[in-house]
Amino acid sequence: MANDKSNDVSLSRTFISGFWNENPVLRLLLGMCPTLAVTAAVKPALTMGLSVIFVLICSNIVVSLMRNLLKPHLRILMFTLAIATFVTIADLFLKAFLPEMSSTLGPYIPLIIVNCIIICRAEACASKNPIVVSIIDAVGMGGGFTITLCFLAGIRELFATGAVFEIQVLATPETGGWFVPWAAMGMPVGAFITLGLMLGLTNIISKKA
Amino acid sequence: MDTLQVLLMGFISVVIVNNLVFTKFLGICPYLGVSGRIDMAFGMGCAVTFVVTLSGTLTWMIDNWILMPWGLEVTRYVCFILVIAGAVQLVEMYVRKFFPTLYDSFGIFLPLITTNCAILGLCLFINLWGVDNLLEAVVLSFGAGIGFTLAICIMAGIRENLNLSDVPECLKGAPITLITAGLLTLAFMGFAGMIR
Amino acid sequence: MVKSIKLFFEQSWLLITSAFVFGLLLSVTNAAWQPRIIQNEIDKFNRLAGAMLSEAKTFELAAEKVEIDMPKGKTTLLEIKKGLDADGNCVGWAFVCHGSGFADKIRLVLTLDAGFETIKGFGVLSSNETPGFGDKIKKDYFRSQFMGMPAAEITLSKTGDYKEIDSEIVAITGATVSSEAVVAIVNNFVGQVRGKLKEKGLIDNGK
Repeated sequence: MANDKSNDVSLSRTFISGFWNENPVLRLLLGMCPTLAVTAAVKPALTMGLSVIFVLICSNIVVSLMRNLLKPHLRILMFTLAIATFVTIADLFLKAFLPEMSSTLGPYIPLIIVNCIIICRAEACASKNPIVVSIIDAVGMGGGFTITLCFLAGIRELFATGAVFEIQVLATPETGGWFVPWAAMGMPVGAFITLGLMLGLTNIISKKA
Repeated sequence: MDTLQVLLMGFISVVIVNNLVFTKFLGICPYLGVSGRIDMAFGMGCAVTFVVTLSGTLTWMIDNWILMPWGLEVTRYVCFILVIAGAVQLVEMYVRKFFPTLYDSFGIFLPLITTNCAILGLCLFINLWGVDNLLEAVVLSFGAGIGFTLAICIMAGIRENLNLSDVPECLKGAPITLITAGLLTLAFMGFAGMIR
Repeated sequence: MVKSIKLFFEQSWLLITSAFVFGLLLSVTNAAWQPRIIQNEIDKFNRLAGAMLSEAKTFELAAEKVEIDMPKGKTTLLEIKKGLDADGNCVGWAFVCHGSGFADKIRLVLTLDAGFETIKGFGVLSSNETPGFGDKIKKDYFRSQFMGMPAAEITLSKTGDYKEIDSEIVAITGATVSSEAVVAIVNNFVGQVRGKLKEKGLIDNGK
């Protein structure tokens, strides 16, 4: 019984660590390319986040299942093979059911393959832990990634278009409001600077805590 | 003459106008990680240029001569990543065996390159841009590598000077690098639309 | 020899098996979803073209693919589609044209009336123009300038009235290059497609 409880605690800790202590974007600085590229609006960011969660869970399950059979020098090859397969599936799914999103995200969906988060989790967690822990870790990490992405995208979309999730929050001059869209926020500049400031903010908060 | 002009324009466009780092956000991880010192940055840039030229060419050949005629586009991503991983391994072995001095200077970066998004990204973009001859594919891949080297060296130069300046405590390290990169993209945006 | 083969399989059996399993997985998903993906493309084309040719109920392929010259000495193959109303009469033409924009390739669906004399309008199939500037080519105020203009050589001017319909297009402020790109694509395709259709005798030769 006591053993069970400590197990539960460590599981929930694994789950939560992905959101803050080991947040892949803000703390570990992993997976920066999609973070910067798809966060011009919340919708593509959310789609990206969910795709990453899907790929992360699947690859963690597969890697965890075959962790005892892995030969060290063929390990990375196995990981990339599994990841590439699931990314292709995710890509086909988006093309079939969400064609609009698929054309917005374009090549950034296949680029999930080289997203360091996934290979890093496969290496650091799934290849050493049983399947349940691996899944929970995947959900936690993926969730942390998605939330960070959406937060960043929310800030950028708000300033770039005055809307969040395509719902107009600040009225633009075209509709009689005062907010002049800040187009730079939708461009690469906005991505880099917003993320830089967010990292700075994270540093301040974590230092106080 | 015409071909030469197309190639030259394509090269300049991929180095400056459509620079992978500044306009497509590819290769940000090494861009932030290795841009601390200018010699390391240059080594990384050389390694990336080497691998990207090789894998860009190879994937173009596989894509156009094997996958498209046979209707196997669905396995494109798997093939690409395996080609890249293979190319990196080969290059590493070859360089270590025949050019030990070269290996000492940039060999340590080679394994990292497999997961460099710039490489896979370029292979995908070449496919997306509809490049239809081998020579153009080679030139564009090489140009992308040069573009990456350019970006990472500029950044490293700035960061070496940044060490001496008074940066607020919370922004030290990655945050200030990102902000600097943001300002750099702003500068590079001036080239946008110069070549179509 | 046998020993080395044995070693090879001992080391790599997992890799080989999983390659097969993953390959199978991929082909199954592909077989299941590919028809849908193709259908999505067609749906999008029909939706964009249908919005401009409101009388058209269905679109069908007018002829086999024709070759169109592109800038820089390249050529491309084009499918021209005929818009049919409920009775099967031809009410217009629609096709996908493309060219390089400011950042990336722009793909447009262009529609013309049955006699190939008036442009009915264009819809953006895919583009990657700068948000806030170039992507305004999708906005109605720019697109409406093309609706109902004569299918002749189009010119671009930087000032003027957006509402006036003539052979002059007013560029989007801050996105001259994107506007130019759209005009260049339309100019390049309309003339050539008209020539091809005349050759095939699908539209009147007289005018």
